[in-house]
Amino acid sequence: MQTLKFSFLGLLAVILIATSCSKKGEKQEMVTPVVSKTDSLRAATRNTFTFYSFKDGRVIETKDSASTKWDFAIRLATIIVNSGSSGPGNVGVITQKGIFDTFKSAPESGYAYDTTGSKLAINSGLTTGWYNYDPASHNFTPKAGIFFVFKTNDNHYVKVEMLSARYEDFTGPMPLFIWHKFRYVYQPNGTKEF
Amino acid sequence: MRIGFIVFFFIIFLQLKAQQSPVATPMHTTGEDTSFNTNKVLDEVVITATRTENRVSNIPLPIHVINAGSIQQSGAQRLIDVLQMQTGLMIASNPLGTALKGYPNPFGDGIQMQGLDPAYTLILIDGEPVTGRNAGIINLDRIAVGNIKQIEILKGPATSLYGSDALAGVINIISADPRKNDFSFQTHYSTNNTLGLSGTANLKAKKAAYQLFAKRYSSDGYDFDKDLYGQTVDPFTNYSVNGKMIYDFNERSNLLTSLRYNSSNQKNAYLIYPDDQVVAVGGHTIEEDKSAFIRYKNHPGDALSYIAQVYATNYSNNANVYIEKDGSLFDHIGLSQTLIKPEFQINLGRDPLSLGILGVGYNWEKISSTRYNGDHQLNAFYILGQKQWVINSTNIIVGGRYEKNVLYKAQFNPKLSVAHKFTPDFILKASIGTGFKTPDFRQQFLSFDNTMVNYFIVGAKELTNVLQEQIRRGLLDDNEEVRAFMVTNELIPEKSIGMNLGLDYTLKQNTVFKLNLFRNDITHLIESYSLPLVTKNGTGFFSYKNVNKVFTEGAEFSINHRFNRFFTINGAYQYLIAKDKEIINQIKNGEIYKRDPSTNVSSPVRLSDYHGLFNRSKHSGNLSIRYFNDRLKGGAMVLAKYRGRFGYFGLNGFNDGNNILDDDREFIKEFTLLNISVNKNLGKYFDLQAGIENLLNYTNKVYMPNIFGRVYFINLNFKL
Repeated sequence: MQTLKFSFLGLLAVILIATSCSKKGEKQEMVTPVVSKTDSLRAATRNTFTFYSFKDGRVIETKDSASTKWDFAIRLATIIVNSGSSGPGNVGVITQKGIFDTFKSAPESGYAYDTTGSKLAINSGLTTGWYNYDPASHNFTPKAGIFFVFKTNDNHYVKVEMLSARYEDFTGPMPLFIWHKFRYVYQPNGTKEF
Repeated sequence: MRIGFIVFFFIIFLQLKAQQSPVATPMHTTGEDTSFNTNKVLDEVVITATRTENRVSNIPLPIHVINAGSIQQSGAQRLIDVLQMQTGLMIASNPLGTALKGYPNPFGDGIQMQGLDPAYTLILIDGEPVTGRNAGIINLDRIAVGNIKQIEILKGPATSLYGSDALAGVINIISADPRKNDFSFQTHYSTNNTLGLSGTANLKAKKAAYQLFAKRYSSDGYDFDKDLYGQTVDPFTNYSVNGKMIYDFNERSNLLTSLRYNSSNQKNAYLIYPDDQVVAVGGHTIEEDKSAFIRYKNHPGDALSYIAQVYATNYSNNANVYIEKDGSLFDHIGLSQTLIKPEFQINLGRDPLSLGILGVGYNWEKISSTRYNGDHQLNAFYILGQKQWVINSTNIIVGGRYEKNVLYKAQFNPKLSVAHKFTPDFILKASIGTGFKTPDFRQQFLSFDNTMVNYFIVGAKELTNVLQEQIRRGLLDDNEEVRAFMVTNELIPEKSIGMNLGLDYTLKQNTVFKLNLFRNDITHLIESYSLPLVTKNGTGFFSYKNVNKVFTEGAEFSINHRFNRFFTINGAYQYLIAKDKEIINQIKNGEIYKRDPSTNVSSPVRLSDYHGLFNRSKHSGNLSIRYFNDRLKGGAMVLAKYRGRFGYFGLNGFNDGNNILDDDREFIKEFTLLNISVNKNLGKYFDLQAGIENLLNYTNKVYMPNIFGRVYFINLNFKL
């Protein structure tokens, strides 16, 4: 009986995978080939930022921090974008309220830039910022219903949702690293539609 | 010879007892039968509700009395242990304190009433306020149970009589009257090497009567996690001493003086990490609480009496922590708070038919702390009045209190309460009143730079100074964003309107049913917030502002039944809803979302998902069964408290991307605390008592480390 059940489930799974694969295949021909990706980056809790590029879909080395290669960077829970006081680029960002999945079109204007060190485009304040902070456990959790719309250096549009933040295991008094998980949709053709 | 002397005293004592009513010489005798006086078995005389002595059945307010007998029979040693078993009262500790794993909770345990935090309940001893709130909480662990006559729990706003803080209600601990001759001593021993030694001596001379109460209570504490340095609850020793003297000039006037001293010495041991090195530190936190009052009562005419009194109290909290290796001082935290309160009250008219009271007083309050800049004062003048009418079967009480605090606008808080007696056994009670709470010293004056975690917590009044200092030191730019917070940051008192509607029904004089519906609306709730500013070395800022509006509402139902003179049973239930109105609005406007942490799918929060404020149980109840047979000279008691599930922010690391309670995974499961005790008189003078607290051995080591698990105790009582 037990084995029968298992084989039945297995069959069901195979069917599901097969159908979903074929659906995906059909879709890819019709829909604009946006880059949709879930990634994580390891940010230090102090001192240095970790830099990320949407176009390359990877972390950019610190030595390139003075270039336009990166789009945003994180230290603990502070997010900077590559513009103004933070970098030589002109990356702008909108903090958008709503549901990430149903957001289909990037706005024309309204992008904010890192003007000064104390006036950043993304609010990373402890109660007012993009995350919730639990002062008892010191955990950070991205606020639900908030995501970012980026306009990159070469005028590509990206929507980004922060998903979670987890400290790396540590032994001392303070964690040294925190892992930020996020997903984004990058439109390589330069249009505002996702 | 000596035995003869003792027996002589004992006989006198019995005679005195027989002659005296159980009420210690009331200012106004309630013996005069009015339409409000019934022969209810459990109709106690209370003082808290009206500031004059009155029977519970005469009072149009929800009031509950815990008498000395049931406290004694339960074997409880600390006030918190007594209160947490009562209907609708829950232990509420600051979650910031319980999360400091392996560190002592610096704030202690307070009591939540009608769903409101401990900061909104006023704690009185003999009608005088206990001071020393840390994070809004008066640590009830440190208040000993000893020479108590009764504890009166008044629910609903009582600001019209008692001023600030009495939004949810008042807990008044009435100490025993010294006008008797007796001596008692209790030795208590329980799990965790907990030892309690307490003695009370009462001596009555011709006109003067004296009382001396002393208690020492110590414990080794316990440790839930051996892997963490330091204990969960560190060893502590508490001392309490209370001396009282009452002098009766004549039948109509007396002078009462009282001196009280409490100290609590808690060991500290934890690790610190300077420059990422592990260093063990240790020391002690000493809380001291001294108070004195002198009260003159005169009753010159049948329809006139007055009370003149001065109360003075000082609370201090000093923590010295030393580095274990070399004994050098690592940290010193000190706080000292003083209150001096002269008051005059005049009672006019016959009680309770047409009693009016008028009171005036002044609070001199001063605080100094290592975490505040300089000394701060919070002085207030107040005047209060109350008038009671009994018209046929209706009792009406109208009262109000005007208070002018130097820092805030004048406050006037009225209260109206009405009781109507349909039959002598069926009473309807209704009351409405306002309450307020002045911002506490911390919310105004705190200036705490937590360099370990890189943040500043700054009281509203200090914010401009602190920001200016940061600019001067070049850590903040002098720009618009910073200057926007350098305005007058005025906090205003938190305010409430409370309503209670109740029914009392007595059946055959031995069963009392009580139902009370309540609703409290609080506005201008003060909460901490973070400023969108960070210094050049990465320090963030927290301050306080008036933000939220919350409400709590619910119902309380109790049945009290006396089977016979030996055997009583009491069961009660509380239904509670407590929610934040701003959150409700935001949900209605579709502004709050949640993200399922397992699928990462976000969706708007629906109103039906919102369960309300954290740490509130929708359902709770308690049961008390008391048996004492004076022929068998023995008895037993069962106490149970059920606490329904309640929300805990960040439970097990769960967070669905909003700070509200909207997911079943954010609930701590329901639990029951069950205590049993038995006692037996051994000969004339001794009573042996044994019991088990938390018989079901409930623990939640991470989120409720204040509950140890099963505790066995034995008490030997000696009474002469």
